[in-house]
Amino acid sequence: MTRSCSLVTLVLLIACLTPGIALSEERLRDVIDRHVANAWKANDITPAEPASDAEFLRRVYLDLLGIIPTHEEAKQFLDDPSSDKRAKLIARLLDHPRYSLHQADVWDMVYFGRNPPGFGTDKREGFKDWLAEQFDKNVPYDQWVRKILRAEGNTVEQGAPMYYVQYKNAPEDATQAITQQFLGVQLQCARCHDHPFDEWSQLDFYGTAAFLARLQVVDIGKKKDEKAYAIGEKNLGDVMFTGPVQSDEVGKKGERVKPKFLSGDSLTEPTLPEDFKEDRNFKTGQMPPKPKFSRKDALADWITQRDNPYFAKAAANRVWAQFMGMGIVHPIDNLSSNNPPSHPELLDELTEALVDHNFDLKWFIGEILNSKTYQLSSRGSSEAAKPMWYQRARYRPLSAEELLESWVLASGYDKVLEASKQTTDKRLDFRGVTWNYMIQFFGAPGDGEGVFQGGLSEHLYLNNGQVYTLISDRAGSLHEAISKSEAPWEERVDRLYLQILSRRPTAEETQKFVEYLSVDDDQSRRLTDAIWTLMTCSEFRFNH
Amino acid sequence: MPKPCSSHEHLSRRSLLKGSLATVGGGTVMNWGGLFNSDAFASEAKKNNKRCILIWLNGGCSQFETFDMKVGRSTGGPFREISTNVAGTRVCELMPQISQRMDKLTVIRSMRTTEIDHPQGIYSMHTGWSKSADTRFPEIGAIVAKYCGSAESDLPNFVKISSQGNAGSGILGPQYQPFNLGRDGDLPTFSKSRLTPELESRRHSLRDFVESTYAENHLAEPVRMHREAYDRARRLNNVLSAFELEEEWEKYRDKYGNSNIGRRMMIAARLVEAGVAFVEVGQSGYDTHADNFEGHKSLIPPMEHGWAAMLDDLEDRGLLDDTLVVWMGEIGRTPRINNRSGRDHYVRSWSTALAGGGVKGGLVYGESDEDGVDVISDKVTEADFFATIYTALGIDPTTENYSGVRPIPLAQFEHRVVKEILI
Repeated sequence: MTRSCSLVTLVLLIACLTPGIALSEERLRDVIDRHVANAWKANDITPAEPASDAEFLRRVYLDLLGIIPTHEEAKQFLDDPSSDKRAKLIARLLDHPRYSLHQADVWDMVYFGRNPPGFGTDKREGFKDWLAEQFDKNVPYDQWVRKILRAEGNTVEQGAPMYYVQYKNAPEDATQAITQQFLGVQLQCARCHDHPFDEWSQLDFYGTAAFLARLQVVDIGKKKDEKAYAIGEKNLGDVMFTGPVQSDEVGKKGERVKPKFLSGDSLTEPTLPEDFKEDRNFKTGQMPPKPKFSRKDALADWITQRDNPYFAKAAANRVWAQFMGMGIVHPIDNLSSNNPPSHPELLDELTEALVDHNFDLKWFIGEILNSKTYQLSSRGSSEAAKPMWYQRARYRPLSAEELLESWVLASGYDKVLEASKQTTDKRLDFRGVTWNYMIQFFGAPGDGEGVFQGGLSEHLYLNNGQVYTLISDRAGSLHEAISKSEAPWEERVDRLYLQILSRRPTAEETQKFVEYLSVDDDQSRRLTDAIWTLMTCSEFRFNH
Repeated sequence: MPKPCSSHEHLSRRSLLKGSLATVGGGTVMNWGGLFNSDAFASEAKKNNKRCILIWLNGGCSQFETFDMKVGRSTGGPFREISTNVAGTRVCELMPQISQRMDKLTVIRSMRTTEIDHPQGIYSMHTGWSKSADTRFPEIGAIVAKYCGSAESDLPNFVKISSQGNAGSGILGPQYQPFNLGRDGDLPTFSKSRLTPELESRRHSLRDFVESTYAENHLAEPVRMHREAYDRARRLNNVLSAFELEEEWEKYRDKYGNSNIGRRMMIAARLVEAGVAFVEVGQSGYDTHADNFEGHKSLIPPMEHGWAAMLDDLEDRGLLDDTLVVWMGEIGRTPRINNRSGRDHYVRSWSTALAGGGVKGGLVYGESDEDGVDVISDKVTEADFFATIYTALGIDPTTENYSGVRPIPLAQFEHRVVKEILI
């Protein structure tokens, strides 16, 4: 016994010491676990236990597909004795049709947020569909970002130009958003004054804005019965800079600012002939012509080039945070010397790996999810929603989309709609539940910086609102399945838990629920109470 | 100096001592509920109760069409000045009611702030700080809720009626999040329970079991917040009648003026009377880049009518001495009148006003130059303004809360409490 153990150790040691095998082929998931464990050691932190199968199952479904598993899927996974079932599940979900749909929801929030103030943003299905397509084909991240920033095509058929369209006549707002979302650089302070302790000056801000000052939103008529827009770019036009806002004076004229990359390099661009005259406006109903030289494309290419010091790092950090809660740099969009990373070496290695794998997000996400770190339990003594050292899993409130679609599945309302032939192709807006309410109460459960602040009104909706429409006793519903079942109550409570919380109940839970439900008096309403309870409890509200 | 306000945090130490002394023997259990309900504590709490109402003029009200007129100058605009019940102080003719209550107001004519655009200005004039990437500053409403509100009350401590603050409770946590009423002061949808109290209580027993089981080994903050908010939603059911003010409105409609903003002001007064620590009432439409004068002509009269009625009402009910009424928007408007008869955004020199609890009346503080372009004396920044408000409410503006491990004072580090306007 001892001898075979040490033999194994010896073989492992040799394998590790053989150059070119172990070191260069350390999988990213192991790199993650190594760095995270080192930080625990250095900070004297005891990590949580590994997540149970049920914890893992629900977490990975919500993270990749944005919905809980069905009770059949849950049962199948929990009963599967094979040791590699987690890796297999991750691989299967990454190829699931809902994966691209959910990732499109996530990234649409990055670029627009929940009630975007910008131009035309209430109709952006084209953009979302286009995003989903990028994820479906697993187009490399740098390639689809370049498409967004070059804004080719129109908002309805191609979708990507919608990103700029929202910043119609607001190149400063676009500057702020682009640098923050794609580079993790915060220039907003530099918009009005040189930052007292950050590296950015107002000229950095306006130097970037100068790339965008010539953009115009052009109405190109209807496509697929929707108003479509394209992004036109003029040959002339500059950003004027008047100095700090506080010393702004009425009538003061600004100075022309030349385009300058955040790397410090100025843009070299061909000069136009002295007598160059430009048409005043782009023609409505037609695609605008290309400019002689596109500043916007130059910016897009600079941002997405492989050796941009911010681009890959910002992406690696953002995707990491999407699944792990905290960014290694946190807040995720503030890569600044004042805001150092918690695990600098890990961030460097993640960044490098992402670039080496040509910005293949599916591979990158798969590695994160296969790490032991991702697969830790959420139980533990730390009170932080998102523990800084990743010593246990984070708590993330379900988005409005995740919540509604998971409720529908949990209550069996999907089957009710099917049985009554009321299914529509509307994903989130259907009879019984008003999507606007979902957005109002669950659309932005955070404070804008990702901290959960679910308040009173959310619970008023949960307690007194439309959740009850979903918990009907109509044909197909969970309510009907449970009340018609002749199985012992213990088994029926099993089903309740599997369908709503994707796990089996503990003995104590079974006892309590059987007690509550097996009373003859008012049984139907008691069952409704039980379903409502599990659908509105903390365990359901969060991904953990 | 004003008396410290009656935050339970504040009072607890002394009362706690009393409480523990009364409990003979070791292993005293701190009976918070009992302490709070003791007569001595309750009367002390009542005596020092400070309240605050914020009238929020969204978009940025013009100082030239209200409290800092420049009659006869090119920046002045078409309105006339009228005299007030304070000798020597004149205000815009759009405010006949308020002109007769100037003895209750302190006007600050020397605001100098930093944020020139709406979202940033709304943020900074609600928090006293500019937006920062790494600190979530709380709004004034959350701060007053925390330091002057009662944790035991079933009523929310921070109520907003059709108003626009965009910072929320920030680092103070969700128990101080605003409770938003509709534009007519109506309760939000789904406020009323659909179950009888018996059925609600039965349902609650099951949910309570599920939540406490989960809480045993899931200690994370959001889970706790989720539980607490659920409890508050249940408790709100006990006090829904405080928001049923239709009959009151019938009675007071003429006094407040039959307008949305008048109605909101009346509701604010009633909620403060019922014990809500902070109420914010909003009126929108002041962003008058075009037709500034027409805009103010339609917005100011109903607002000032309701405002005046509210001051009278609070005074009649003996509440004005303990209720600070703040009047402001996020920015002022430019001296220059643009070619659309509008005024644009301006933060170099503009006006706000305070009345009631803790501040003097009949006072004009600070001065702008003859065209209203610049402050010429007693500049008040947003840091100064908020520090002064907190002081008037008996809250020490240097009190710290934590953002992670960083201590964050209520008002910016560099501030000046404008003592001249405090009682």
